[in-house]
Amino acid sequence: MSLAFLHSHNSKEAHQDAVWGVAWTQSDTAVSISADGSIQQWTCSSGDSYSDGPHFKTPAPHTLGLVSLSVSADGRFALYGSLEGLTTLWDLSSGEIVGKFESYVRSGEDAEPSWCVSLNPRGSTYASAGASGKLSIHSAEPGNFGQRLATIPSGRTKFGMYCAYSPDGKRVALSSETGQIYIFDVESSSLVNSFTSHAMSVRSLAWSHDCNLLLSASEDKRLVLHDVRVSLGSGGGAVATFSGHSSWVLSVDISPDGRLGLSGSADKTIKVWDIAARAAVSTVQDTGEVWSVSWRPKPPAVGTAGAFVSGGEDGVVRWWRSAGGGG
Amino acid sequence: MDSLIDPSDTESVDLGNDLDVVEQLEDVALDFLTQLCRSGMKAQRDASDADSSASEDTKPSNSKAKLNIRIPLADRTKPNDSATHGLKYLTYPRKLASGSARPIAQLFKVINLMHEAIHNDVPATKRRVLIYLSELQSHYHRRDIYYKDVQLFKTQKVVDTLVDDIAATLQVDRSNLNVRATSKGTFCGSGLTIHLLTGEMIRGNDAEATLIPVGEDIESFDFDNEVKWVLIVEKDAVFQTLCHLKLTNHPRLSSRGLMITGKGYPDIATRHLVKTFVPILALVDSDPYGIDILSVYRFGSRALHHERERLAAERVEWLGVWPSELTRYGIEKDDLIPITEHDRKKMDKSRDYQAFSLLQRPRSQMPTKWRKELIHMLHNRRKAEIEILCSRNLPSSQSNAEDDVDVDVDVPDDSPATSNSFKLPANTPMACGSSSTHSRSPLLQYLIDKLLHTAMVPPIG
Repeated sequence: MSLAFLHSHNSKEAHQDAVWGVAWTQSDTAVSISADGSIQQWTCSSGDSYSDGPHFKTPAPHTLGLVSLSVSADGRFALYGSLEGLTTLWDLSSGEIVGKFESYVRSGEDAEPSWCVSLNPRGSTYASAGASGKLSIHSAEPGNFGQRLATIPSGRTKFGMYCAYSPDGKRVALSSETGQIYIFDVESSSLVNSFTSHAMSVRSLAWSHDCNLLLSASEDKRLVLHDVRVSLGSGGGAVATFSGHSSWVLSVDISPDGRLGLSGSADKTIKVWDIAARAAVSTVQDTGEVWSVSWRPKPPAVGTAGAFVSGGEDGVVRWWRSAGGGG
Repeated sequence: MDSLIDPSDTESVDLGNDLDVVEQLEDVALDFLTQLCRSGMKAQRDASDADSSASEDTKPSNSKAKLNIRIPLADRTKPNDSATHGLKYLTYPRKLASGSARPIAQLFKVINLMHEAIHNDVPATKRRVLIYLSELQSHYHRRDIYYKDVQLFKTQKVVDTLVDDIAATLQVDRSNLNVRATSKGTFCGSGLTIHLLTGEMIRGNDAEATLIPVGEDIESFDFDNEVKWVLIVEKDAVFQTLCHLKLTNHPRLSSRGLMITGKGYPDIATRHLVKTFVPILALVDSDPYGIDILSVYRFGSRALHHERERLAAERVEWLGVWPSELTRYGIEKDDLIPITEHDRKKMDKSRDYQAFSLLQRPRSQMPTKWRKELIHMLHNRRKAEIEILCSRNLPSSQSNAEDDVDVDVDVPDDSPATSNSFKLPANTPMACGSSSTHSRSPLLQYLIDKLLHTAMVPPIG
């Protein structure tokens, strides 16, 4: 199986500023968010902007950039957050906005602007974190969208950079600007694990499909693979380190079969990593900082390594496919 | 005071303007006294009414005057439209631990001194020496006002605020109130000569900084036609470095320029820059504070809103340092400074430079380019100071063979002090340390590059 990845095609239009988040959905569309405040859905096969008819709506661009994106497992919804903490839930099939929450409104002790957001794969809630490093669980139901249901402290007050629900919806991982990674158990609203494998900001996290592994991307130019089953306080957890990027690692994803890691970096490259072999197997050159990468969620055709989508500084969304077979 | 008759006689017109201001100051005092009398009269009337309808059951009314005094002042934190402000009030009585008579006493002390100074003012063109006659003070420095009654004012800031408030209320310049400002502004460039009212001339120099005299002493500016650009440099240390590198008359640029420190900018902007058409470029730090300073240069500040039309030069452009160009000039992301919550959040109104409050300003006060840069700065969670350019070796395509030769830079000695020289001491600290005295200074390279490519200053040849 060839592990070279080729550039397949670009989005037919570009955002007017950097792309800060991309996600390849289960319905084979891709969603991208940009520094220009806009969110866009694309048809992956062609790169056209997605539309199921002339009436299909795309949200109007926000006044400030969009910094966080989380797409539901079934590809129906996109949750996204803006620079100042406006959280929006967008129905990807109808084009309707189904929820909006101004997290910056001072409504109580735990209220603070959200920086990162993540949709619960089981629906009904989403997680967020902001400057104080606490994890908040909010309602994702249209009726009381955004209402804070629980707030779990991490024990430190460091800026929360990225949060992600595990695929089974039972846990949430949170990474901080000073490198800590926290694992929270949703049901018990408690902190169950923490990792200190980085001393610099961790900008992105990715769970393996079986929820046992967590891959982190850091400004220390490394990715670290963590075994989440290791218990708290045992001092372990990090099982592998992936080096090779020459600048901040900005984004990370794990392939649906769990074998390949994917990273985008400020060094303007995208790397594909063989997790078992602990080595990079492909490096793709881009034109600017690569802020976000996302694997195609459907398992790849036999004999190919799959496909992914990326977004970066030039505002263009790019699709890449494995060189083997038809991609 | 002489009566003023002839409108073509500018001296008497000045006197006329002065008298207007004197009248306005007196009006504030009269308004206060009127309110005081009215309250007293009302209390007397109430007391006599009560007496006349007194029955044995009513208690004796309180014949003390029920004072209710309100003095309106311009509220400089609330600008109305182009030139006016909203109002705030000094009220008496007010429940205050320190007693509410003090603010009114402070106000009138300042007004009194201003009133006295204007009356003592000798017509400007007849002044020969810049010394004060101790009994007949015709100008007060803000410091002087404070020291007149430290017990009353408690802090210098109280005086400073009152001076600005009174100026805003009367809609005049501080200089019309005969309160001198300190000028710590400096400029660099042989293209500018400043003529003083005393007849002296201050000639600019391309290799060293020259202090800008206080506005009241200046008669006119003489701006050489060959000066094709003006650079405002926010920080003194960076300014010093660029002076010593002779940026204003550099071999790689075909036209001469003028550099002004941020502190000096208002002096020159109001007097001259608004009349010329050369590009005005600003060099500020790549952080929220720098962008706020930039917007003060271009749009004026809220605190000095009433002077906005005179200060603001809508031509001011942000030359640098832009967050988005740092990587292009070889700056590593790891060398940048982390953004703090202090940078990000909205703080109290008086220090409104934090990023989110900057982003909330309307497009007319926060150009799209500046917003974009600020948004990227926040997302990267990094900021940078101008000095970061000192530490980098720029990519070789930026440098030029001419610059491989060391340029001998003379650090100026202290020239013998004359009573009229305005030169900065030679040991004023410079940015970038010793590397800056070398012609290959990355900071210099950066500025030349930006002047050539952004400001469209033509190159040599």
